[in-house]
Order: sequence, then C-alpha cells, then structure tokens
Amino acid sequence: MKPRVAPAIFLGIPTVFLVGLFVLPLLSMLVLSVWRTENYHIIRDFSFHNYEVLATEGAYITFLVRSLVMASAVSLICTLLAWPIAYGITLYGGRYKLLFSLAFAVPFLTGEVLRIIALQGLLGPLGLLNGVLLSLGAAPLRVIMYTNVASAIGLVYLYLPIVVTVIYLSLLNFDQRLIDAATIFGASPARAFFEVTWPLNLFGTLIGFALCFIPCLSATLAPRFLGGPNGTLYGMAMAQQFGESGTWALGAAMGVVLFAVSVLLVVGVARLIDLRRTGFTGFGRG
Amino acid sequence: MTKSTFSSSDAAAPSASPVSRRTVLKTLAAGTAGALAAPYIRPAYAAPAQLRALMWEVYAVPDIVGAFEEKHKIKFSPTFFDGNSEAYNKLRIGGTRDFDLVQADGFWPGLYFREKLIRDIDYAKIPNTANVYPVFKPDRFKLLTDEASGKHFGVTWCWGSYGTTYNAGEVPKEKVQTIEVLFDPAFSGRLATSARFEENIALTGILAATRLGTKDKPRPDGKSFNPYVLTDEELAEVEKLLIQQKPLLLTRYQDNTTLQQLLESGAIVAAPEFAQVYRVLVQKKDKGEISADFSHQLVPKEGGLGWVDTWLVTTGVTDPATLDICHDFMNTFLAPENIKKISLIAGSSATVDLRSISTPEEQKLYLMDRTEELSSMYMFDQPSSTEKWERVWSRVQAA
Repeated sequence: MKPRVAPAIFLGIPTVFLVGLFVLPLLSMLVLSVWRTENYHIIRDFSFHNYEVLATEGAYITFLVRSLVMASAVSLICTLLAWPIAYGITLYGGRYKLLFSLAFAVPFLTGEVLRIIALQGLLGPLGLLNGVLLSLGAAPLRVIMYTNVASAIGLVYLYLPIVVTVIYLSLLNFDQRLIDAATIFGASPARAFFEVTWPLNLFGTLIGFALCFIPCLSATLAPRFLGGPNGTLYGMAMAQQFGESGTWALGAAMGVVLFAVSVLLVVGVARLIDLRRTGFTGFGRG
Repeated sequence: MTKSTFSSSDAAAPSASPVSRRTVLKTLAAGTAGALAAPYIRPAYAAPAQLRALMWEVYAVPDIVGAFEEKHKIKFSPTFFDGNSEAYNKLRIGGTRDFDLVQADGFWPGLYFREKLIRDIDYAKIPNTANVYPVFKPDRFKLLTDEASGKHFGVTWCWGSYGTTYNAGEVPKEKVQTIEVLFDPAFSGRLATSARFEENIALTGILAATRLGTKDKPRPDGKSFNPYVLTDEELAEVEKLLIQQKPLLLTRYQDNTTLQQLLESGAIVAAPEFAQVYRVLVQKKDKGEISADFSHQLVPKEGGLGWVDTWLVTTGVTDPATLDICHDFMNTFLAPENIKKISLIAGSSATVDLRSISTPEEQKLYLMDRTEELSSMYMFDQPSSTEKWERVWSRVQAA
C-alpha cells in the first residue's frame, strides 16, 4: 500500500489545487461567456453572441493583433537582451553568479503597480529623461510619453528578469565541456555557440520567451499607465469589461479567446520544434 | 441522614415533580446551545461592536473616524474601492451582509435601491442634513428619492462637476467656455481627458447633440435631454468626434497625480476633471511653488456634467441599534467642522453650507457660492445601454 500513498499525495494535492483554482474558474468563465449582460445584469440566455461580437467587431480583433505584435516584440527584445546577460553571468560571474542572478529579482520585491508608476514618472513629462532634456533646453521626447513604445519599455522592464533567470538556469545546467570538445575539434567560438550552446539551450530560451510572451499578451497595467490614447491592448480592453462597463459576459468570452490563443501558440511552437534536440530532458531516458 | 434529607426536601417543595435524567439532559443541551450561539445572537438594542463601510479611501479621515470610534466605543472598519462598479459587484455578491454603509455617486444609489441593496433613510434622524444647500434638498435633488414610494435612500455630502481645468496663460478664456476646446487642433498633443469611458462619451454627447441640433428637440423617451441617454445617431457622432480627438490627446489620465504633473509641467494645457487638481494647483501657486496660472471652467456653454457623492445604508442593517449608529455616523460626517476637514483633504466641494466657517479664499476655491450651478448640470447617470457604450468606446480605442 505504502508506495501507492506517496504518488497519490504528491500528485493529488497539485491536482486538487489545479482543479479548484484553475479548471473551475476557467469553466465558470466558459459558462459566463455564453450568457449576456444587460445594463449591469447577467442574463442567463445561452448563445454564442459574445463570440460573434469578438469575431466581427474590428475593435477587438485590433486589440488582439496589437497585443500579439507587442508580446512578440517585447519577448524578442527580452530574449535578445537576456542571452548575453545570462551568458555573461555564467561565464564571468565566478563565485558571484548567484548574487548577479538574484540581483535581477530585486525589482520583484516591490509590486507591479509600483514599478509601472515609477516608470511612468521616469518616462513622463517630469521624469528623469525629459527633465534632463528640458533643463538642457531641448524638446521633450514625446515618443516615450504615453505611447506604445513606452508600453514596450515598461513590459521589457517587467519581464526581462524572468527571461534572464530562465536562460541563466538553462545555461547553468548546460555542460560547458561540450564547447571545449567542439573547439578542440576545430570549431570556431561562433560555430561552437550556434551549433552547440544555442541549440542545447533552445528549450530554456523558449520557456523564457513563453513566460514573457503569455503575460504580455494579457498585459493590463503597462498599457493603461504608459500606453496613451492609442495604446489599448487586449488585456486592458478585457479588464475594462469587468470594471466600469460591467459587460462581464463579453469579458469572459475575451478571456476564453485569449486562453485559446495562448494554448494554440504554445502547441504550435511545440509542434514546430523537435524538443529532443533543444536540451529538453523531460522525455526521460527511454 | 438520608432519610432526614428526603424529608426536608419534600417539605420544602412538596408539589415539585421529580427531576428525570431526560430533563437534565435537555437542560444541559439547551444551555450548551445557548452558550455556543450567544456570540451570534444580539439582543435587539445591543450596541454593535463595529461599523463596516465600503468607501473611497480619501474620505476616511483618521481623526474624525477616531473620535467617532471613541464616542460609540465601536470599531470603524472601512473597505476601500476604486469605482462604483467595484462596490456594486461587492454588494451584489452578498456584500449587504458584510457592510453597513456604502458610498456611491450619480445614478448608482438609485440602482442600489431598486435592487434592494440599500434601505431607506429617515432624514429626521440625521439633523445635519438640514444644513445642506437648497439645491441638494430632496425637493430639488431627485436622485436620492424613489419615484414610486417617495422614500429617501441617501445622504449627500460632496459635489463637483467635470469641468475643464486649463492653463490661463496658454488657453484663452473664451475658448474654454465651450466643450469644443477639447477638440481644438490648436492644442494638438497638449490636451488630456480622463480614462473613464462614461464621462468621455457623455461630455462628447452634449457636444454631439448640440452640433446635431437634437439637444433641445423632443426626445424619443419623451423626457428632456440627458447625455447618458443618447440616440444611435448621437452615439455615432460621439464616436466620430472621439476618434477625431485622439491625435489631439497626450494621454487619458488614470489618476489626479498624473494629471497634476501633466498640467504643472506644461505637457498639457487643458483637461476636464473634478476640480480637485485645479484646487491643488491654485494652492501651489499661492505658496509660490509654481508660476503658471490655472483656472477652472465649471460648466461649458453647451452644458456640463455634475456629480454628488452620497452615503447609503445597506439592507443588511435591520437592527435598530446599528441603524442608529449609521445615522449618527452620517450626521457626524456632515457636521460642518468635520465636512470642512474632509473637503479640504479630498479637494471636494461640500454639500453643506460652510461659508460661515470658511475664509473668502476657501469659499471661492471650493465654489461655495456656486452650488446653484449644479442645477444646470447633467448628473452622472447610468448609460442607457452599457453594451452600446462599450462598443463605441472600444471602437474609439482601436481606431
């Protein structure tokens, strides 16, 4: 009996947790999405009207496309920045490796709202950058004041530490002797990187990319505080349905669509890439 | 011994029936149940241990709340919300059991009352309501009276408009007397509006109806013009105007601090707001902290939006003792010295006449002689169709 108790506990607790806090709320969203609202009242009439609205009303499609572009750009920038940082820490961090990687987590000690508002101050008309420009007699940089560029800066600031940490952990588990082997056999450092280091850390890179991409897709705070009149993204529009407009059923449908898009993207990437060649060890030895 | 005891007992209570084991057990069970239930059973007139309020944070002034707690030996437990819809959701999911008092503005009290989330109030139990300006009395201010039953369900305590605060050195006064200033290309990139979708649509609705010439014509509902009840034609015009306005806006501000920074820095020159930022800027100017002159246009010539904040009592309050405490709390809140303090902290104009205890500067800054202008404003109301309004707003945001 004993050997059966441990798996039941170790798998049972997370299962109960996931069912209670993830599956059930998701199902309730699904149910709400096929109802409708009328002036702050939920009308329990079954229909796919909300999905029709999302599919035919250009505004919501625009929000989704904007979010996909924003999430892709931010994730790409974060990955491009994170690789040299993580690689640098691994190669030259010495005994301070852990300290360097932890330093990236320092901003997490404050809340997300606080960080975004601080950034709003930094990029805003009275912020450090524009303050210096104004004191020098130059015009303020309007491109960083309430624009999509400002939102992107905010999102990079928010998610870069996560991507750095994930890639750093991937590199930490990577056997550096493989590079030595490649160079011994005549590969240049660049070739060793692109044919050994990069492919064998691709899975970690993809995880980092995904951990940045998915929250960016539903980002609310950065576009709200930094985005300006043209910066409404899908997550912000979705939050609005649950806030002042009280159109909860449409918001629930937006949530379901967002979930479906995120799952499809992850599945699509997983199908396009041969995980066995990316440093992924989750398939076991068999 | 035994015998004598029996004898004595019989003598003392000759008619008493013998105590059975069942009776003892019943008594014990009833006693235990009573003891367990005691904390949850409140005698009809027992004083409540706490007063629970759902409110905006800025109005919870510690020394006023502290004095009230001391007076009643009660704990005041506030829960703060950001907007009416959040409070509404809290009340609808059982919040009437969790809160005794709730704050709301505009049409929300009426909605709460129709949905039986709040109860009626007897103004005679709140003597300080007699001190409110005539424009806030029930005979003129109808938003807190149920049309069908004539019952009152809210107490007003502060008011404001959604007028335009502007940099007087940059924007000529004649331009700001109209809503058109917010759509004027001469101020391109130097304007901002609030992020609240209802006020953006309603204010633009006034302009749209003025331009279309439908404002003073008979309305489909047979009532007078209300910017929260717009026709499809007017909503289409609103959408067009708001899309045209977008390139002129630097941002849609989320909070007063941001708006203050934008105006102070000169990044924008005009924005509609509740006059709270205007008051901060004027006080800063008086202290010599800023050099720019700021003014506030309370009501544009086409008409403006106004709001009144209210205290309400939830239907969860059925116990007379708690209701008395609620009445006294609202009365304390409306006491001139308290409401003045709250007004100065929050930057809001009070509905209570404070002129006798205010300086001329305060009277001017807090619009104490201009309360009558409220009657010319359209009160914050519920959009005729939140679904239609949401689509308009989404299309504007996506354009």
